[in-house]
Amino acid sequence: MIKGRSQQITRSKWFVPLFSVAMGLVILAASWIGGHPRAGAFSLALMTGFALLVLLAGRSETIRGLRGDGRDERFAQIDLRATAVAGQVLILTLIAGWLTQIAGGHTGRPYDWLLAIGGVGYLLAVPLFRWRG
Amino acid sequence: MKNKVRALRTERNLAQGQLAEAMGVSRQTINSIENDRYTPSLPLAIALARYFGVTVEEMFDDQGS
Repeated sequence: MIKGRSQQITRSKWFVPLFSVAMGLVILAASWIGGHPRAGAFSLALMTGFALLVLLAGRSETIRGLRGDGRDERFAQIDLRATAVAGQVLILTLIAGWLTQIAGGHTGRPYDWLLAIGGVGYLLAVPLFRWRG
Repeated sequence: MKNKVRALRTERNLAQGQLAEAMGVSRQTINSIENDRYTPSLPLAIALARYFGVTVEEMFDDQGS
């Protein structure tokens, strides 16, 4: 059976909710340091709301997959494809922003740097995954 | 990929959930395999074949996909 392998893919149902709240606290701290505690508190409330939604939203496959406790090899593939789509959307958005900036007579910052980081990340990932087989 | 998972499962009076539990995957994954929407990984295909006491070739038909 592949149960052991599958359990490696599966995460605790608390992982995503706790990660969301932790991120909310980090945003609150950063906003507080930046002199915007109310914006930070709003972000924390949003992240906590998302955490509660994911934690209490029932047993649909999508929610359980996002939460982590319903993950198996098929959901891992879905996650991989969804991540690739999100990356492509982000890159297209960055390219559009970069071109808009250049067309407006600006330097293209910070879109050029973000695109360069994305490109370098991809170029490093390809040989890494090729090497790992 | 065409397969005999549903036929073998119903032959043994197993619910999708029971087979999913035995394989360590979700019921929806078993359903997707049975409806030819998801091709399982090699470890899962071997586990399914072993579970039903058949070979992988007997269970999955790559010509019919």
